[in-house]
Amino acid sequence: MTEANTNRGVLFDVKQCIGCGSCTVACKLWNDLGYEKPDVAGNAHGFDVELTDKNWTIVTYNREKDANGKDVLRFLKNQCMHCKEPACISVCFAHALYIDENGAVVCDPAKCAGCRYCMIACPYSVPKYEWDKVFPSIQKCQMCDSKIAAGEATSCSAVCPTGALTFGDRDELLALAKKKIAADPSYVNHVYGETEGGGTRWLYISDVPFEKLGLPINVPNTPINDYLHGYLKYTPVVFLGGGALFAALSIYTKRRAKVAGHGEGDE
Amino acid sequence: MKKQTEKQQKKREPKKLSRRQFLGAVAATTAIAGLAGCDMGENTGGSGWLPKQYRSAANWPIQLKGRVPVDPENPSIVRRDDACILCGQCIEVCQNVQNIHGYYELPVKNEFMCVNCGQCALWCPTASIYERSHIDRVREAILNPDMTVIVQTAPATRVSIGEEFGLDMGTWMEGQQVAALRRLGFDVVLDTNFAADLTIMEEGTELVKRVTSGSAVLPQFTSCCPGWVKFLEFFYPELIPNLSTAKSPMQMFGSMLKTYYAKKQNIDPKKIYSVAVMPCISKKMEASRPEFKTVAEYYNDDSMKDIDAVLSVREFAIMLKEAGIDLPSLPEEDYDSIMGEASGAGLIFGSTGGVMEAALRSAYYLMTGTNLPEDKLDIKAVRGLQGIKEATVNVPGVGDVKVAVCAGLSNARALCEMVKAGKVDYHFIEVMACPGGCISGGGQPRTTVPPSDDMRQKRLESIYAKDAIYKLRMSHQNPEILQAYKEFLGEPGSHLAEDLLHTYYISRAEDVTPKKFN
Amino acid sequence: MKDTTAQAKNKISFKITPARGILLVLGLLSICLIVYRLINGLGVTTNLNDQWPWGLWIFIDLAAIALAGCGFSIAVITHVFHIKKFKPLTRRALLLSFLLYIVALLILFIEIGRWDNFYTPIYSFAFTSPLYEVFMCIVLYFLMQAIELLDISIERFNPPARSKISKIMPVVVIIACLLPFGHQASLGAMYLGMPQKLSAIWSSAFLPWSFLINSFFAGLAVVVLEYHFFSKHYRQPKDNAMMTGLTRVIAVIMLGYFVLKIIDLAARGAFGLVFDGSLEGNMFLLEMVIGVIIPIIFGLSSLVKKTSGQIFMATFVVIGLLLSRFNVIFVGMIKTLGNSYVPSWIEIAVIPGLFALAIFIYLFAVENLPIFQAANREYDAFAGREKHAGYEVVSK
Ligand code: SF4
Ligand code: SF4
Ligand code: SF4
Ligand code: SF4
Ligand code: SF4
Repeated sequence: MTEANTNRGVLFDVKQCIGCGSCTVACKLWNDLGYEKPDVAGNAHGFDVELTDKNWTIVTYNREKDANGKDVLRFLKNQCMHCKEPACISVCFAHALYIDENGAVVCDPAKCAGCRYCMIACPYSVPKYEWDKVFPSIQKCQMCDSKIAAGEATSCSAVCPTGALTFGDRDELLALAKKKIAADPSYVNHVYGETEGGGTRWLYISDVPFEKLGLPINVPNTPINDYLHGYLKYTPVVFLGGGALFAALSIYTKRRAKVAGHGEGDE
Repeated sequence: MKKQTEKQQKKREPKKLSRRQFLGAVAATTAIAGLAGCDMGENTGGSGWLPKQYRSAANWPIQLKGRVPVDPENPSIVRRDDACILCGQCIEVCQNVQNIHGYYELPVKNEFMCVNCGQCALWCPTASIYERSHIDRVREAILNPDMTVIVQTAPATRVSIGEEFGLDMGTWMEGQQVAALRRLGFDVVLDTNFAADLTIMEEGTELVKRVTSGSAVLPQFTSCCPGWVKFLEFFYPELIPNLSTAKSPMQMFGSMLKTYYAKKQNIDPKKIYSVAVMPCISKKMEASRPEFKTVAEYYNDDSMKDIDAVLSVREFAIMLKEAGIDLPSLPEEDYDSIMGEASGAGLIFGSTGGVMEAALRSAYYLMTGTNLPEDKLDIKAVRGLQGIKEATVNVPGVGDVKVAVCAGLSNARALCEMVKAGKVDYHFIEVMACPGGCISGGGQPRTTVPPSDDMRQKRLESIYAKDAIYKLRMSHQNPEILQAYKEFLGEPGSHLAEDLLHTYYISRAEDVTPKKFN
Repeated sequence: MKDTTAQAKNKISFKITPARGILLVLGLLSICLIVYRLINGLGVTTNLNDQWPWGLWIFIDLAAIALAGCGFSIAVITHVFHIKKFKPLTRRALLLSFLLYIVALLILFIEIGRWDNFYTPIYSFAFTSPLYEVFMCIVLYFLMQAIELLDISIERFNPPARSKISKIMPVVVIIACLLPFGHQASLGAMYLGMPQKLSAIWSSAFLPWSFLINSFFAGLAVVVLEYHFFSKHYRQPKDNAMMTGLTRVIAVIMLGYFVLKIIDLAARGAFGLVFDGSLEGNMFLLEMVIGVIIPIIFGLSSLVKKTSGQIFMATFVVIGLLLSRFNVIFVGMIKTLGNSYVPSWIEIAVIPGLFALAIFIYLFAVENLPIFQAANREYDAFAGREKHAGYEVVSK
């Protein structure tokens, strides 16, 4: 086994993607995910899909204007971003989601109580639910955890014919992304995922604005956890301080009432 | 819990111990869910199957990787993901045989790069890629009593359709094919070979003009293969003037059917539904090209199409099987007339070198006024499966006419480069996008996967064998052609012929940045 | 203290009238639907989907829990601040709150996808999750309430044994007063986790405190309604002055709430959104006008001196609370999540029965436990055994 590296990541270069969808098929094959039934034309797959419990990754296509105002065809691969400080984990009240020893964000269905808070809290709306099952679990990209544990690249990046997906150490990928941007002014000068939500393991670079491709650009750079912590940090204060205060108040008001006149005063 | 662990270990037998240990730890927790009697879903991190080449450690390069992109609106091909095994065959043929994938710079512009040749559909071992079906629209037309459904059959379908019924590769099934089409409910069964002869008249005349005028652009490229035409428009738009303006036989047939034929037979052209059975699925793209609105312009009615539907040989076979028609047991029947008669020259269009050979036979006549001597009719140098073939025919009074033939777009690319560099002085070049020509087109039966030269050879031989015994072996001898010119078109290259039988091309340079190889 | 004959004999008595029969039938229907849901999964029974993982049941949950704030708000007023004039309300508020929690927990149980795993969060120690805090607080609070009710039952059926439990009661009461501060606020904190999904009108660090405060006064409003309805139902004499006092308290707290809301909006510069005519803005205005401004005007005027005025005001407060939860759960999210969710009939049909069941149990409890009449004696160990005139339960 190769040395454990918890800092893995994947760089997706929008300019390199041809929309072949190999990555989506690889994900299905490796993770034993089924397909929805094709329509009569046999055409249900390809781009006609959304992230679901069975589709952990999808490739969407957009006709957009590039920097020169020309119509261009651009693809975007969606999957779990594997945030460094994931909202999904912060909100999971069962600790079913966790970052495993390879850095991947995965879900332990044996713990998940199915509250679906992660689905609604994930800034990218990635976790999906097996609605048709009686005992469903949360489904999402697991960064091919078993493959990377064995020193292999994720399935999707292993099959990408154009090198649009590069698997590697996140820091190196970040450097690579920045090098690419520096060398080619047509790139948008931002590595998506470097700071979003506190940083994600999947990084994107593109020559058309990210929001045009459907990536949420209003994801705050502060990890969602910080928002929650801004409130939750008061919990001990509320319980310990509040407990003391209430007890004191209770005794004080009671005594005052007694003093004021045999328990009939109103304050 | 033990059961769970065992099950999991069995499932991931071929993988390394490290994974096993890792998942073993997970198994403890999964066992709880097991006790609760629920479906555990997937193991963490996946334990499915991937072709071996993708299982190497880290990011080592591999050769066969991924698959070709398919436009969801591609008029020729569709793909169902659930059959794809990422074997890489489609990308192999697209890149190395057809020189499309990998021959353009990324990022893509506004197009999914594809010339619609359909070779990927032939190479795909699981038939994950296949033709966009026109079966439904054809059925609907057949069931519509108001419609006269007329079908044309391409030269190369009659030597392959038998394979769909278990017959030997290359079995000659022309008569049975006609009979089968009638039984499917087509009202009139005609032959594209007729239009092939017509193409020769037009294209040959054009060639003669170019060769004899001296000033025109040479070499002349054939234009009957839509895959090749689109390839040239993408990668060599500067060579568009070299492309013959003659339409492909199918499109010529489409133009003639709703004009000449409709008039002759006294049928309302609006009530004609024009179907083509083709060895090619690029033809589906060709039929949808916006330039081909000849009939619409002729009648000033935008709703009319030159060709209404294109069936691949595979779709044709599906229709037959679904209708319970056993092709081999049918009697041989003849094509309807008019536009059902053809010469051997029209027939050999179906194989690589065929157009060239047919064109030379007639061009010789057009230039000299005499027919090629019987023993010289077989121009063997342009036959066969080699990538690029060349020949020289001495035409008395004109001199040596130098020709080249190639099939497969990688060969076409090589030839185009030579032409561009001025390294060659051919007069006439025939290009077919598919290796071996239409006999191995993207709509042909999947007899061998990937298509083998053995299969191609047998279909070729079948075609040449028939050509050899045809009474009429030259297009300009076809009486129905002569009649058509006499009664309708005038003469080759006439004004009406220009309108109906010729087309123009568009540069697609805007849609692609070709890769430079030096 | 006067007891009814039935109580004196330590016997349980409860007459099933036709109306009560209907409640029971409705309840049974809900139970059937719950079983159906548990057997068949969420996909079959609800219209929830990947875009809208949370729907009607979450709304009912949040609303029920907020309204169940009646238990803790009255408790805080009477036990912590010892405002004695409201003491007669403690037990009925406690009972009502307890029943609302039962409803909420039942819905929560069918709402979570993996009911077989409902217990895993208990030992997950997921301190980063507001939902964990909600869950733990509710479970513990429910326990505390159960102990309090146990105390009342012991008082009713075996008074001498009461001395054993009365020692821990002060602690139970204080904990019970504290816990809701945790979960009422945490319910709002759950929505801190989606700053870029929830409309900026609501998405604020103040949201938890907003949830806390409005559950506090809405709980009091529920008590007003409960008091009037059941006092009438049982032909109890009503203490109008007490109710007027309560509505005044509500109005004062609401005034504070309103000011805080405005400060919050202003501080975040979100005022523009409120008046931009969008769905979100308009719904927020509705929430504020119906649920806050009108009740404040009522509460501070002389209108609440009359029963009808009190009922009117309390109703508006409760509607306002429902609106506030509805706005956060649905309206505030519609822009990001789309409009692909409409509740299924099962999701809807399950709800009335559960409330019917709650009312049924309420009636039973009131008729068999010293809820109305014993306000004087409650927690006497803690409160110094003051003597109050109790009420008597007279079954209709
Ligand atoms: S993208 Fe969503 S699901 Fe993935 S780690 Fe981040 S928060 Fe979790
Ligand atoms: S649905 Fe499961 S994994 Fe997601 S937050 Fe809830 S308990 Fe955690
Ligand atoms: S990393 Fe693995 S699980 Fe995730 S999208 Fe790629 S193939 Fe699928
Ligand atoms: S495999 Fe690579 S090129 Fe193909 S769609 Fe996926 S990312 Fe794009
Ligand atoms: S040839 Fe077929 S199965 Fe193989 S990668 Fe291409 S589409 Fe998939």
